[in-house]
Amino acid sequence: MSSVEQGIGPTAGNPSKRSTATPLAARLNTDFPQVIVAVIAVVAFLTVSEWSGSAYWGGIAKLTSLYLVATVFMSILYVDAGQTSFGQGAIFGASAYAVAVVGSLQGYSFAVAAIAGLGAALIGGVLFALPALRVQWFYLGFVTLSASMVFPDVLVYFDSITKGINGIRAPFTSITDKTAIGLSPLTLMIALVTVGALAFQVWLARTRLGRQMKVAASSTVAAQSLGISPSLMRSVAFLVTAFGTGLAGMLYPPTVGFVSPNAFHVDLSVLFFFAIIVGGTNQPLGPVVGLILLYMVPNVFLASFVEYRLLIYGLVALLVMLLMPNGIMGTLEDWRRRRAGGAAGESLRLDRFIAAARSNRIPRIDAPDVIAIEVADVRKAFGSVKAVDGVSITIRRGEIHGLVGANGSGKTSLLNIFSGFSRASAGTVKIAGADVGGMAAHQIALLGIGRTFQTPRILPGLSVWENLEIGLDARNPSAERTIPDDLISELRATFKDRSIETIPHGQRRLLEIMRIVLKEADILLLDEPAAGLSPDERRTFSELLRSLRDDLGKTIVLVEHDLDLVWGTADRVTVLETGRVAASGTPQEVAANPAVSHMFIGGQRA
Amino acid sequence: MRFDEIAIIAVRGIGLGSVYALVAMSFNIVKVSSGILNFAQGNMVVLGGLLAYFLFSMVGGPTQMSWYLFLPLAAIGVGILMTLQGIVILLPMRYSTEDHSWLITTMAFSVIIGAVLLITQGPNALSVRSVFPTFMVAGTHVPAPYLLTFALAVIWCLALSLFRTRTMTGLQISALWQNPEAARAAGLKIRRLQIVAFTISGLIVGSTGFVAAPMITVSADSGFRYVINGFVAVVIGGMGSNIGALIAGPLVGMVGMFAAYRYGAELQGVATLLALIAILLLRPQGLFGSTTARQV
Repeated sequence: MSSVEQGIGPTAGNPSKRSTATPLAARLNTDFPQVIVAVIAVVAFLTVSEWSGSAYWGGIAKLTSLYLVATVFMSILYVDAGQTSFGQGAIFGASAYAVAVVGSLQGYSFAVAAIAGLGAALIGGVLFALPALRVQWFYLGFVTLSASMVFPDVLVYFDSITKGINGIRAPFTSITDKTAIGLSPLTLMIALVTVGALAFQVWLARTRLGRQMKVAASSTVAAQSLGISPSLMRSVAFLVTAFGTGLAGMLYPPTVGFVSPNAFHVDLSVLFFFAIIVGGTNQPLGPVVGLILLYMVPNVFLASFVEYRLLIYGLVALLVMLLMPNGIMGTLEDWRRRRAGGAAGESLRLDRFIAAARSNRIPRIDAPDVIAIEVADVRKAFGSVKAVDGVSITIRRGEIHGLVGANGSGKTSLLNIFSGFSRASAGTVKIAGADVGGMAAHQIALLGIGRTFQTPRILPGLSVWENLEIGLDARNPSAERTIPDDLISELRATFKDRSIETIPHGQRRLLEIMRIVLKEADILLLDEPAAGLSPDERRTFSELLRSLRDDLGKTIVLVEHDLDLVWGTADRVTVLETGRVAASGTPQEVAANPAVSHMFIGGQRA
Repeated sequence: MRFDEIAIIAVRGIGLGSVYALVAMSFNIVKVSSGILNFAQGNMVVLGGLLAYFLFSMVGGPTQMSWYLFLPLAAIGVGILMTLQGIVILLPMRYSTEDHSWLITTMAFSVIIGAVLLITQGPNALSVRSVFPTFMVAGTHVPAPYLLTFALAVIWCLALSLFRTRTMTGLQISALWQNPEAARAAGLKIRRLQIVAFTISGLIVGSTGFVAAPMITVSADSGFRYVINGFVAVVIGGMGSNIGALIAGPLVGMVGMFAAYRYGAELQGVATLLALIAILLLRPQGLFGSTTARQV
């Protein structure tokens, strides 16, 4: 058997042989045990310190918990949604200040003040999201960092409202007095918010929204090709984070009893960021460990060396990054996985996929004149280079259309115009009858387009199943279901604990194809899908292409250098040369066309 | 506003902005070679100023003679420190799964330098006296460091341009920026070039801190301001463009100076932030930058 047959697709054998309870050592991640440890630690710290009657330890426990909430939400924003916002301390501070102004200076109750605090945080979230729609990465990082740097200045400037450098006393004794169980309402609220934040992060990562955020963070083009609007994901991430940070910030004034501009210095934002990285990204215990090392160690455990506080803080961050680049928990997790050994498990198999497609065969569209993609006189120039120079092609429903040509002949540029990643300078593109000229890429994806890439867009850190599931997430609700549910549940059972890192490069392209088939796309744009496959694998792959066309009725646009593969599968072939159509027709017609005979050495296909 | 007020804002804005321009140039060379934006750059400027303070106090006060002697010393001192910093920061980037460790390590370096300054010098700013007489510009007295810093920015801009076009090392560093994979394939010693970039960057900020010492705040917590303003100059001038930095730095300086004069010192930072947001919204590639290539 070829390695594709062994290699790709859920096992042909019996999946029920696998035990359902996975031992800890073999698990892909330890999110649930980590959350439980974190929750127990936080609740124990809060209750024991309050019961002990020590105002000092009670204050430390509450403040650290609030910082933990802000750090967890910043981790959602930075790690899961990929947004480099270094200004979360300002949002925390905006919420705290709104509570102090409304509650203490204006004399409203804590409930009213808290709503004002959340409102202030959400306004901050919107202000941070706006530049994020336009710029990313360190540009965004600097904008938000400077925002948090000027935040104390702004507080001082508006001293008529904020009392400037003097700060505001905000004791809120109504919620800080102990109840019958020896805990104040404030402590209970802080415990609730902290436990909620820890659970929310892990829960979010397992929802469709959480996965789509990760797709948008990992690759803008992959997100768009799956119908996800990156701007929408960023805005949602900023608002969710602002809400969570606001919850923490609004509990700051009753915890400390006082707010002043210095408490929300840029250092606070940097602390949240350091805690995420030093603790270890993608690990629920990461922010806890990060804050213990960076906040508790210098400020509490080594409090007697107060003048060395900053030095200890900087050195801890530097040393951890040098010795454990993946952070403390990340390094521990790597160590656990290595000890567990590379769980070989099942690998992807195409034959099962093909068999499932056959068993679920839907009648092939017998209307060869229905047009899937129609482009007329499309042009695209990059500077003075004409990548696409007046191309007209018609791709019919249910056909495999090969796009061939030398490197730089405009094949990928054309695919990018189809999928909306670049806009044609002139000409029209119609997909399923709709003119896509003015449509965003993620809207075009909803027309039933599925796209794979020369460099497969695989999401590191997710399991093999989750990498397929993001295709399922992108299913258009109105699209016809061609993939049977039992195949889907079989894929889930087989691959939910498999790390994506164990899938070899060539097979990642096939995984991408499976993803867009799960998306129920009916027009598949495949960019060099067979690169990196062995001759045996190519044979199985041709079979898959034919099966997708014949059994599932897919339309396939195939950009490929392997002319044997193209001539063996395609119904029609278009040859591109320097951005123009050199020949087009059935494979036989094109092979006989003198204009492109130089592609074939001695009459044979090269 | 009277003419002499405008003149004061312009001249002081250009002088202070030249510090931002120099920080921007020192950002550029490290960024070009390794993709790193060194957050410790601001505190390195402060260290240059601190060296000026120490060197002058060693000889019993600043003189013009010692100024010429100590300028290269301060530059080399910070240059050596930044070389060491570069070596340490580049260390984990060989094997980290994410190459973003520099965000933390450079910020940590900045925190450590600030902490050491705080422990040894206390929280107050040190003052360094200018050794040159004031100049008359547009009818107002201008302390010499404002003009000297501007001159230094012009000199470094020319020197860097010659370095990048006329020397083998400079060409190789530019090649790293254009295409790191191709540069690696061509057998360039990438790690060595990146460390050289750190050294040059250190020479720039070391000399900046020394020359500008009388007009900047030589204290533990002022470094971040130079990082942010230097970055704004990089964005406005266009990433990698030193000419852009030379023009953008003084612009940023004047905007900040005007805001401080008109609305109070608290809003100086706000004005810079708004300038940054405006340029990112209108022309994200900066005035002299180029657009990006195909994504897929």
